[in-house]
Amino acid sequence: MIRAVCLALSLALLPLPAVAHKVVMGVFPSGTQIEGELGFSSGDTAKEGTPIEVFDENGTKLGETVTDADGFFVFTPRTAVTHVFRANLGAGHVGEATMPADEVAALLGTSVVGAAASSVANAAAPETPGAAATIAIAAEPNTAQLTSAPPALGADDIARIVRDEMRPLRKEIAAYKEKNDLQSILGGIGYIVGLFGLGFYVAARHRLRSAT
Amino acid sequence: MHVVDGALSNPVVIGGAVLTLGGLALGLRRLPMEKIPVAGVLSATFFVASLVHVPIGPSSVHLIMNGLAGLVLGWAAFPALFVGLLLQAVFFGFGGVTVLGVNTFNIAMPAVIVGVILRRLVLSGTPATGAIWGAIGGAMAIALTTIFVALSLALTGEEFFAPAKLVFFAHIPVMVIEALLTGAAVYLARQVKPELFDVFEGARS
Repeated sequence: MIRAVCLALSLALLPLPAVAHKVVMGVFPSGTQIEGELGFSSGDTAKEGTPIEVFDENGTKLGETVTDADGFFVFTPRTAVTHVFRANLGAGHVGEATMPADEVAALLGTSVVGAAASSVANAAAPETPGAAATIAIAAEPNTAQLTSAPPALGADDIARIVRDEMRPLRKEIAAYKEKNDLQSILGGIGYIVGLFGLGFYVAARHRLRSAT
Repeated sequence: MHVVDGALSNPVVIGGAVLTLGGLALGLRRLPMEKIPVAGVLSATFFVASLVHVPIGPSSVHLIMNGLAGLVLGWAAFPALFVGLLLQAVFFGFGGVTVLGVNTFNIAMPAVIVGVILRRLVLSGTPATGAIWGAIGGAMAIALTTIFVALSLALTGEEFFAPAKLVFFAHIPVMVIEALLTGAAVYLARQVKPELFDVFEGARS
């Protein structure tokens, strides 16, 4: 018994905070498109060309896309409905991420600038950010000066810059969320000890009662 | 090794839950009071062993230690491993709560099979031969678990052989490590605490 405890303890002290191979998937608006990333919580990204299927909330298929070499994927939404992204990495590893309808509507421009921008959004689908997107910015009075500054930055450019800056942060947060620290490991062991102790108590009471 | 939420079809999830309920009922009946502390220790061992990751190529696999649980506990491995899996799902998000039934069955049933087949062989002969049978049991439990996982994926509609082969070969290093650990544990128990197996044999009847 003591040896068994020693074995369990030595095993408990041996593991360094390791990560499970859980699937991590996230989507976020990116200009007029939805960008997302797919990978394992160990930090490995999904293989290039992993198919990703896109559904609406009722399960109707809206389309599909594939990941690039870094595990990123891009999808161009056409309608302002909830988008559900699903990926199957095989061997029981599936990932799912959802973008709510209002976010899709916002990036399609239907609720922000009206019909004009949404037609722009559809036209700009095959990655032509330039002139079309600056219209959306100019429509808002506060940012008008920004567009008049010498290196005119379109909304897509700004979105891309912010995204690039945020990427390492997002990765770090994802890694942090997957971190198993010693506290939760010890907490789990504590639960096990408590549960089996409770079982032991109940069994002992039962036996004592039947003995008398 | 842990199947995640949403990977399996509903019939497979429900089937796994029913089988696990049966296993739990049977396991709790075969769990006399003397066995409860050992079950707790093995449950904790399993809980922690899953955090030991062995990097293999692009992915990584983790230890399971269900063979040892099966050899010592027999059917009582079901409740012990169930508790470990439940806490892993809650604390670390390994697997998920809806697929808990399938995961418990995939991990505990091989343990029971190993326990039923090899228990006698582990107890017979010298501690050294017992350790060798224990090592075989440790490796066999992992091999069976990979097959069970592949089967539950196949029942959902994925093809069987390609993923099964992949999972099986990815776990060969785990089998080797677990064989060594289980063999060592059996050898140690036979040397210093032979009644670890015997007492429970007596308590069961």
